[in-house]
Amino acid sequence: MYDNYYEPEEISVKPGETVRFVVENKGNLVHEFNVGTPDMHEAHREEMMMMVEHGVIQGGKLNHDMMNMDMGNGHSMKHDDPNSVLLEPGQSKEVVWKFSDKGNIEFACNVPGHYQAGMYGEVNFE
Amino acid sequence: MSCIRSIVAVSFLASIGVSTAVTAQEMISDTTARKQPLTTWGVQFEEFEYRYSDDDEELGVWNADAFYGTDDFKVRLLTTGEYEIEEQAYETLENQLVGQIPISKFFDAKAGVRFDTPEGPDRTYAVLGVAGLAPQWFEIDANLYVSKDGDTSAELDAEYELLFTNYWILAATLDASVAFSEDEEIGVGKGLVSTETGLRLSYDLIDRAFSPYVGVVHERKYGDSADLAEADGGGTEDWFAVIGARIAF
Amino acid sequence: MKPRFLTGLLSLLMPAMVLAGEYDLTVDRVKIDTGDFVKEGIGYNGASPGPVMRFKEGENVKINVTNNLDEMTSIHWHGLILPFDQDGVPGISFPGIKPGETFTYEFPIQQAGTYWFHSHSGFQEPDGAYGAIVIEPEKREPFRYDREYVVQLTDKHPHSGDRIMRNLKMIPDYYNREQQTVGEFFSDASKNGLMNTIRDRMAWGDMRMMKADVEDLQGFTGLINGKGPEQNWTGLFEPGERIRLRFINSSAMTYFDIRITGLDMTVVQADGNNVQPVNVDEFRIGVAETYDVIVHPKDEQAYTIFAESMGRSGYARATLAPEEGMEAAVPQLRDPARLTMADMSGMPGMDHGNMAGMDHGDMDMNSSEGMSGMDHSNMEGMDHGSMAMGKGGQNDPFYAKGSGLVPTAANGGKFLSYADLKAQDPLYEDREPTREIELRLTGNMERYTWSINGVKYEDADPIRLKYGERVRFKFVNETMMTHPMHLHGMWSILDVGADQWNPIKHTVSVQPGTTVYMETEVDEPGQWAFHCHLSYHAAAGMFRKVIVEGGPESTQAKTDVIAKDGGEV
Repeated sequence: MYDNYYEPEEISVKPGETVRFVVENKGNLVHEFNVGTPDMHEAHREEMMMMVEHGVIQGGKLNHDMMNMDMGNGHSMKHDDPNSVLLEPGQSKEVVWKFSDKGNIEFACNVPGHYQAGMYGEVNFE
Repeated sequence: MSCIRSIVAVSFLASIGVSTAVTAQEMISDTTARKQPLTTWGVQFEEFEYRYSDDDEELGVWNADAFYGTDDFKVRLLTTGEYEIEEQAYETLENQLVGQIPISKFFDAKAGVRFDTPEGPDRTYAVLGVAGLAPQWFEIDANLYVSKDGDTSAELDAEYELLFTNYWILAATLDASVAFSEDEEIGVGKGLVSTETGLRLSYDLIDRAFSPYVGVVHERKYGDSADLAEADGGGTEDWFAVIGARIAF
Repeated sequence: MKPRFLTGLLSLLMPAMVLAGEYDLTVDRVKIDTGDFVKEGIGYNGASPGPVMRFKEGENVKINVTNNLDEMTSIHWHGLILPFDQDGVPGISFPGIKPGETFTYEFPIQQAGTYWFHSHSGFQEPDGAYGAIVIEPEKREPFRYDREYVVQLTDKHPHSGDRIMRNLKMIPDYYNREQQTVGEFFSDASKNGLMNTIRDRMAWGDMRMMKADVEDLQGFTGLINGKGPEQNWTGLFEPGERIRLRFINSSAMTYFDIRITGLDMTVVQADGNNVQPVNVDEFRIGVAETYDVIVHPKDEQAYTIFAESMGRSGYARATLAPEEGMEAAVPQLRDPARLTMADMSGMPGMDHGNMAGMDHGDMDMNSSEGMSGMDHSNMEGMDHGSMAMGKGGQNDPFYAKGSGLVPTAANGGKFLSYADLKAQDPLYEDREPTREIELRLTGNMERYTWSINGVKYEDADPIRLKYGERVRFKFVNETMMTHPMHLHGMWSILDVGADQWNPIKHTVSVQPGTTVYMETEVDEPGQWAFHCHLSYHAAAGMFRKVIVEGGPESTQAKTDVIAKDGGEV
């Protein structure tokens, strides 16, 4: 992951294939690697917007205390879904995902502004 | 756009890079117009009108000024006249040449000469005055005149504009003159000499360059000046309907 | 376009191969048709605006400029880093280009992004002498798009620049048709009460200032890429494409608030430098600034690009559409902008006693430091309570608290603030400035004189900087107008409280009643212009020459010689 794009910007997978993504943040900003449909990404962007407003994501840093803070309804802003990782510059993590059916899937960074600037990649099904 | 692209060997590229240093370049001094004070000029006719009085008197009246200069010094020519149309004579004809300098944020001081050459005796005065914008948007012009014979008088002109819309403007004017010594020849008595008040409704037809107006003007003489006028067979009070235009360019 | 294969081939033969482009520009008298009126003006290569100059980062350009006018001319490359004698300012960079003469500019392109160029002689720029510069980067950009358009705005007026200057000097509110009227008095009285309205009018009358003094020049036709609203410049797209719009404000005096109804905009560049992407619904572009945004229209319909002047007296409009001839609704202009007492807070010697019972949001007049947002502690961790810089918030730390000019998005969404701009790739390391220079922005509206520290350019000494220092400029706006301050030749690092992520700009807008800081790494020798980019303010005295003493090699001896000569300016 760079500021603000992925390398590669396209991947090909077979339906049913399980892929292990080794994601490294080589940029200066916090980035996300998130696998999902465009609708899921759009919904997630709302959540990420809230994370920025609460100071969880601050440009090139993550505020881990804020992330774990209880929002008062049992939820926290921990970013721990299996289909995505949120990385600070220099961090590296893995995402293992099974692409069960063909569909309109893309990987994207939903940090506010990044997706719109072009930080997404296509998943092509063979 | 004619665009000739060429590929050039880099051997002499270094020369372009090196010339960024101050070695071969002179730092010139600014002799352009930008370094000179901004000189500007303008001409305005505050009044350019036809007056019709309740006594069937018809006058052609103007009140204009032209200036030329910089922020620090302007030369101004102020001219005003009242031309009696039937009698084909100037009731009033005053021409002033003054130099004007700023003395505060909103006020200027001016000094110069005024030549009066109406029908009747001529007069020449030295002029000293202040002009500017007073609080609450009153335009003020206050002048002190000293004639060749030592007769002194003063004049205060004030103007206020009310915006009905951004194009319909109502202007109220008051001109008052006071004399400190009598000058019987020209009908001036000691004390308050005369006032002229006007109310003009104008419409900015062409920018602020041409704004036709209609209005009403009231002239009145007081005290000794009124007595002198009556003795001469003239009136002391007049109401005029006026129609004219403000001009600026 | 560019013969890459040839470069590749020859680069095997000659180790260091560089591209050089040669371009020709003529400066001509042209006819400008705005759709509202036709006027003679000045243009480049027979047209106004001039051509879009397309350069490549790393290229060495040679531009032959032929002056076909009967007066001196010049071309300044706004925002470009280059040797000072190529900067194009007569009297500071070079003597100017004589009528009939061809002058050749030669300099390396050391940056990428969107910039522009314009004449720096007389009022040729407001008369039409401007064009765009697009520089392709060497590396890939941190954003993607499928197509791009230059969207260059100007405020073309039926009067020539010389005439406008003369009129403003004679009657300073000559062009202001948004003044408060009797009608407004009555509507204010019914809204705020009669006594409050009377007190308000008297407070402003006491100062002899107008609340309506937002735009000096009104009555213009807003142009986009040379086309007026009726002529409707149209950029075509295919639904689903991402489009990069390079907004350039090339006007003489007008700030525009830009929105595209139905499309979000993601700001990716400001003044040619990449910024961390910000999604906005609307943004204000100051005179001489540039903003690059990415939009993503998905529907098969037309979208209106609406640029409303800051004072709401006029607008420019263009269309993005799948086909020529399509149009979308053009919004109405909003109500005229009105200043508040907060905007006056920069003026020295304000009698606060009169201010009682005035406009509601302005009680904070004692802080001429309207910049409450400057402490670093406020910038981190977006605290919901105070900042509210997001959606529909009325606070923008770059406006005086309670200012009447704080922009709000027409659709209630997010309006871009300087505080949202963070550099994507900082050009300089963050370090402590070596000194601070205070520049008070001053002026007298009634006399229409504008100055810096109370001194007009004609009476001013140059500002002397030393090569290698980092100067922190403090702009204190003591007037009630907004001034876009432009330093030639060196970057202005705007202090938004983000330390090393402070955005890098060439033009910094300072709102009335505020203090704005920007820092400059003094790394370009020579002498440079530094001025308010409002054309008639610069001409009225709001201008300075900056002399950078010293250079990369020690040129102390040469500088001494120059100092003797240049001291008399």
